[in-house]
Amino acid sequence: MPIYIARKLAFFILAVIAASIAIFLLIRGAGGNVAAVVLGKDATAEAINALAQQYGLDRPMVVQYFDWIGKLLQGDLGRSFRTNESVADLVVSRLSISIPLCVSGLVLGLLIAIPAGTYSALYSDRPLGALVALLSQVGIAVPVFWAGILLSLLFGVRLGWLPTGGWTNWDANFWGAVRSLVLPVISLGLILGASLTRYVRSAVLDVMNQDYVRTARATGMTQMQALLQVGLRNAALPIATVVGLQIAELIGGTVIIETVFSLPGLSRMILANVAAREVIVVQSTVMLIIIFVMLINLIVDLLYGVLDPRVRLAR
Amino acid sequence: MLTNSKSFRLGLATLTAAAAILAAMPGAMAASPRAEEGKMILVARQDPGTLDYTKSNLTALRLWIPANVVEPLVYFNQDGSVSPGVAESWTISDDRLTYTFVIREAKFSNGEPVTVEDVIYSLNTMKESPVSQNSSAYQAVSSIEKVDDRTVRITLSRPSQNFWRGMGSTAGLIQPEAAAGTIATNPIGTGPYKLVSYTSNSALEFTVNENYWGEAPAIKDVTVRIITDGTAGLNALEAGEVDTIPVITIDLWEQLMARGLDKSFTMVTYPQIGEPTYAVINQKLDPELRQALAMTLDRQAYNDAFGASWGAENTCTFALPNQPWYEPASAESCPYPYDIEKAMALVAEKGYASTPLEYASLSDVPDLSLPADIMVPTMQAAGFNMTRNAIDLARYSQLIFQGRPPQFDVTVMSGDADPAQWACSDESQASWSTYCSVDYTQALADADEALTDEEYLALMKQAADILRKDAVIVPIIAKKGVGLFEPDLKGFLEPRVAVAIEFAPLHW
Repeated sequence: MPIYIARKLAFFILAVIAASIAIFLLIRGAGGNVAAVVLGKDATAEAINALAQQYGLDRPMVVQYFDWIGKLLQGDLGRSFRTNESVADLVVSRLSISIPLCVSGLVLGLLIAIPAGTYSALYSDRPLGALVALLSQVGIAVPVFWAGILLSLLFGVRLGWLPTGGWTNWDANFWGAVRSLVLPVISLGLILGASLTRYVRSAVLDVMNQDYVRTARATGMTQMQALLQVGLRNAALPIATVVGLQIAELIGGTVIIETVFSLPGLSRMILANVAAREVIVVQSTVMLIIIFVMLINLIVDLLYGVLDPRVRLAR
Repeated sequence: MLTNSKSFRLGLATLTAAAAILAAMPGAMAASPRAEEGKMILVARQDPGTLDYTKSNLTALRLWIPANVVEPLVYFNQDGSVSPGVAESWTISDDRLTYTFVIREAKFSNGEPVTVEDVIYSLNTMKESPVSQNSSAYQAVSSIEKVDDRTVRITLSRPSQNFWRGMGSTAGLIQPEAAAGTIATNPIGTGPYKLVSYTSNSALEFTVNENYWGEAPAIKDVTVRIITDGTAGLNALEAGEVDTIPVITIDLWEQLMARGLDKSFTMVTYPQIGEPTYAVINQKLDPELRQALAMTLDRQAYNDAFGASWGAENTCTFALPNQPWYEPASAESCPYPYDIEKAMALVAEKGYASTPLEYASLSDVPDLSLPADIMVPTMQAAGFNMTRNAIDLARYSQLIFQGRPPQFDVTVMSGDADPAQWACSDESQASWSTYCSVDYTQALADADEALTDEEYLALMKQAADILRKDAVIVPIIAKKGVGLFEPDLKGFLEPRVAVAIEFAPLHW
């Protein structure tokens, strides 16, 4: 087991280093620099070079990389060139929106997907089961921005029940913040629910065809009893894997929802800073997300090793 | 997310039905709940990123900070008169070489008194500003000095119209030296409002400045909500969550009309915040090739598609209708009017079809990416070997604004109607367009030194004529600014300090 853990840790460190180099090169490979964006089209080359120099962007790439990574290792995420704000503060303030949005969206998605997917798998031969499967198809086909705009039109513009967008800080007005998140969470939850329903349906159908479920049915159990008592654990494994992947995707992947509802979340912050070539903000924020995702994967890998000895012996 | 075309079609049909039902339902619009609270919410389509107006020239910043938070020395009004700003009075010597400003006894919004030292610091900062619109006003300035505790004297080496006009624009904004370190997130000034907070990609919050020297504004609290998605902005307006979208972009026009928002809200069009849209043809290209390209620019088609609804005018003059040297398109003012047949004949005669050309299109600004849909096919139809290169702002800046040489052949841009931006007496100093004409630069310099408004106007017309004949900067239309206001929100004034939307005159 110690060798297995050491291997996994070594892989984790190598992957983080590779990711840091990739991020550093990718944002620079996109071309342009923050000084040019700040100064606009009429700035002289001298003015841009002077500002770039002030930002330290004229230094050799290797120096810039090690400067950034050195500070990162000491817990210093750097500062925005344009406003001198701390990247750590920016990330924390944006996470106060992104985390509730992602977690609530995912929970809503699961609350929809688990009963809907299970029902449509167990009763696939009934009209209602087919209808659920059909609705999940429709949900998958709906672009998330469209769902957001329609919900905003209905509940915001037409009915006036909820804000069409915008953000109220938690400390300024707690319920205002909750109201700001309702439509984005519903949009995200509905779309996630639709796609997760398919996975749940597929997983449940798969276990329901297994011999051990058939045996359970032969003992007199109903379909639901057989699923709950002997099939559920096995059906949960692939669903948990998909949910894990969704969490990783959601952390930085809700840019459309945040844009449609004008939420100043983490995804929108990254996008805006890519456009402005705020390289330090982008590098440090994306790096944090990558480390978070890799840590989750590392923990899962280690848990696999603990739970199933075949996994660690096979490596 | 799309699993197959069947499910996509199903989704599309469902959504179309849902959209139709929603559109038919009555909206929740009512009088603004903020009217009685003395509040107002505006919409901004772009996030400024920084509020440091000494270093950034972004419109997203200049719309809100000048005039509201930070004031210039003087204000130039629409009727041509000049009003006091931070300077309560001023004298100009007969030779227009010495300007003496008496500084108002006022306080900045942070409670600190305005001092002559702050004024000198601010002017020197703008003189050294990397933003050319700021620093260009100071080209003729030889000294800025303190006369006494309330008086500043500025001496010029030659008369300069640009200097005087600059004192009423961003070049003349006055800030306290002690607060310069936080200007990027919290600019301080003497304006009727002070900034309470700025959260990027979210909002700018303003409240009245208790230390303001003038009459207190009617609306006490102002929020500028940053809503980058156009539809979301219109939704917020229709739902009554915001009171105005003072600057609307062309990509929203069709939706705005379809939803009838032009009828349920007050629509204001104003030239001051408008922009000329113009093609830039790289000066390295053969003059006849440039002229042939200029002949493919179908102003009317472009205007019909993107400008007509806004009251935009076709023009071959680099100016806006409120600038006295402006001329609408005519046989006299357009040396290379749209003439596809003549362009085709020139392409065939000169063999331009073998010259690969690149049209650079700014992909993240709808006003500037949409023109390519018309321009590029027309150029190709004329026989040019034209390809479209769609790139984002940062890349566009690198290749074109800062490219030495700039890497484009044709592009379409819109922006300030400042003819001085094309001045260049030394080719090595050529700006992003590569336009560099000694004659044009001299004409502008002569205009700058004009002692009378009449002389200034005549010389500016002369400069405009040189520019249009060179077929490098080729004006297409003069767009007007368009805003939608809640009907009870009154008092909108055309911007006086560059493009700034002034909150103070607005009232319920």
